[in-house]
Amino acid sequence: MPKIIAIHSFRGGTGKSNTTANLACLLAQKGQRVGIVDTDIQSPGIHVLFNLDPREISCSLNDFLWGKCEIESAAYDVSKMIEPQTDGKLFLIPSSIRTGDIARVLHYGYDINLLKEGYQKLTERLSLDYLFIDTHPGLNEETLMSIAIADILLIILRPDQQDYQGTAVTVEVSRQLEVPGMFLIVNKVPDVFAHEELAVKVASTYQCEVAGVLPHADEMMTLASSGIFSMQYPDHAVSREMDKIIQRITG
Amino acid sequence: MKLSAAKIILIGCGLGIVYGLLNGFSNAFLLPSAPIISLRPQIALPMIVGIIGHPLAGFITGFTGNIIGDGISGFGFWKFWNWHIANGLMGLIPGLIRYRGITRIATVREFGILQVSIILACGIGVGFAVVMDVLFLHFMIFPSSLHAWILPAFLTDVVNGFVLVPVALVLTGAILITLETRTIMMITALLIIAVLATAGSITWAVLDDLVSHQAMVRNFYIAAIVSVLLLVIGFLASIVFVRKMTDPLTKITRAAESVEKGSYDLETLDGISGRNDELGRLARVFEQMAGKVLEREKKLQKQVEELQIKIDREKQIADVAEIVETEYFRSLKEKARKFRAS
Repeated sequence: MPKIIAIHSFRGGTGKSNTTANLACLLAQKGQRVGIVDTDIQSPGIHVLFNLDPREISCSLNDFLWGKCEIESAAYDVSKMIEPQTDGKLFLIPSSIRTGDIARVLHYGYDINLLKEGYQKLTERLSLDYLFIDTHPGLNEETLMSIAIADILLIILRPDQQDYQGTAVTVEVSRQLEVPGMFLIVNKVPDVFAHEELAVKVASTYQCEVAGVLPHADEMMTLASSGIFSMQYPDHAVSREMDKIIQRITG
Repeated sequence: MKLSAAKIILIGCGLGIVYGLLNGFSNAFLLPSAPIISLRPQIALPMIVGIIGHPLAGFITGFTGNIIGDGISGFGFWKFWNWHIANGLMGLIPGLIRYRGITRIATVREFGILQVSIILACGIGVGFAVVMDVLFLHFMIFPSSLHAWILPAFLTDVVNGFVLVPVALVLTGAILITLETRTIMMITALLIIAVLATAGSITWAVLDDLVSHQAMVRNFYIAAIVSVLLLVIGFLASIVFVRKMTDPLTKITRAAESVEKGSYDLETLDGISGRNDELGRLARVFEQMAGKVLEREKKLQKQVEELQIKIDREKQIADVAEIVETEYFRSLKEKARKFRAS
């Protein structure tokens, strides 16, 4: 059974898209067939990490949702980002970055049945093992849909009070949606924090397993939004911790 | 260096042969006024072997070397056995500093102990030879042997050891070049140059003016004693002065190391920060800087310790209710259930 993994954070700027891209790449590197759907229709951005030129995107998630194309024609093979190359495959289903398209989806919304159907077709036709869903921050209707469909939900937070409060709401709402697997990832953690203690504290506060604590990395800042960190710095502490996250959520 | 007994004997005998050949060679050039004593720079060899290798190896080098040297020079292999042992002792005694925990010389104190051990080695070695002669051999005639034999031997050995042993130890790395050793060696070198230049000029430059042989010997004798006394007193005084200069720096360095380790042990600076010189200022600036770093570190530590995840449960319940009590959410939940069941 292919697994749908939704990645969410209560606020923006937690490194959600970045973490999604890295985890997906690491899984593909291990020989898995992986897809990423950018459902952050309001502020799409993950295509930048995969150096996907917007002019190349003839068909996007928006087009599928309006019945203009099949979902698999919105899937772009970005396996070239995997280093070193393996049998694994990586596909990206981007959102349209055209402002008209964005406004239209926000206005009319879309139906969960359609989305679920689309994911099913996608996983079947591309024989995917994992499908990552990059969501929009906050808890709007579309985001709730992604959480409802997911087999595994990863909630990313930074160690600060606003994220702590928002995460508490997300965790509770997701529990009510009966998501089968839920994990927390604490991101951008300064070195002065005792990482293991933080993990224990977060886990006990939310009564939810912590899949990993990712240290703050200056190198990640310099890489900014071009390229996949864990592919370029495979031995970095951040990449190693991401590897552990993969083992925890798939193991 | 840890050496096996076989290696100690091998090194001792091997370098003993070298020492012996050098002795045989230098015995051909005797000091003026000292009929059987030469200026023997090679005396440093058994001392160096004793310090770097092993005290016993130093002893063997001195002992066998003197036998060989005497043999080559025609003094007879065993006639002056007391001097063989004396040479052995000169190789043995400086090597004993390792038992005071000194394996590498890095401070003024350690350098001082090294140089004093060299003077002691010469004193004990020559003293032993004299006592043995008086008790058993009776070759010496007093008081003429005193300046013809005993004093020249002692004085040349002290000066040679004092100058050459540190040079060799610097070259082999047994003396570490630190601020302390660099300063004390610089001052020691100046002292040696000054003393030897003075003594040398007195001894040799005025030789022509001296009327009798006896006056010449007396002159040499006085010059040599004065130089060794000056050397020893000057050396001890410079140890005191150099330590006064380098001690505060060593303490500031220790304080800096304690900051690096995170223990902030700044008490060593207490006596220094009150000084009016550059070192006092350095200590004060360092104390202030370390204080600021410590303060910042404590603040950060406190922040981390206070790391609390505060959640306003009332607000959480209200926010959750706002979402889950909508018609949309209820239908979504229903649909999600169906998906999962299918």
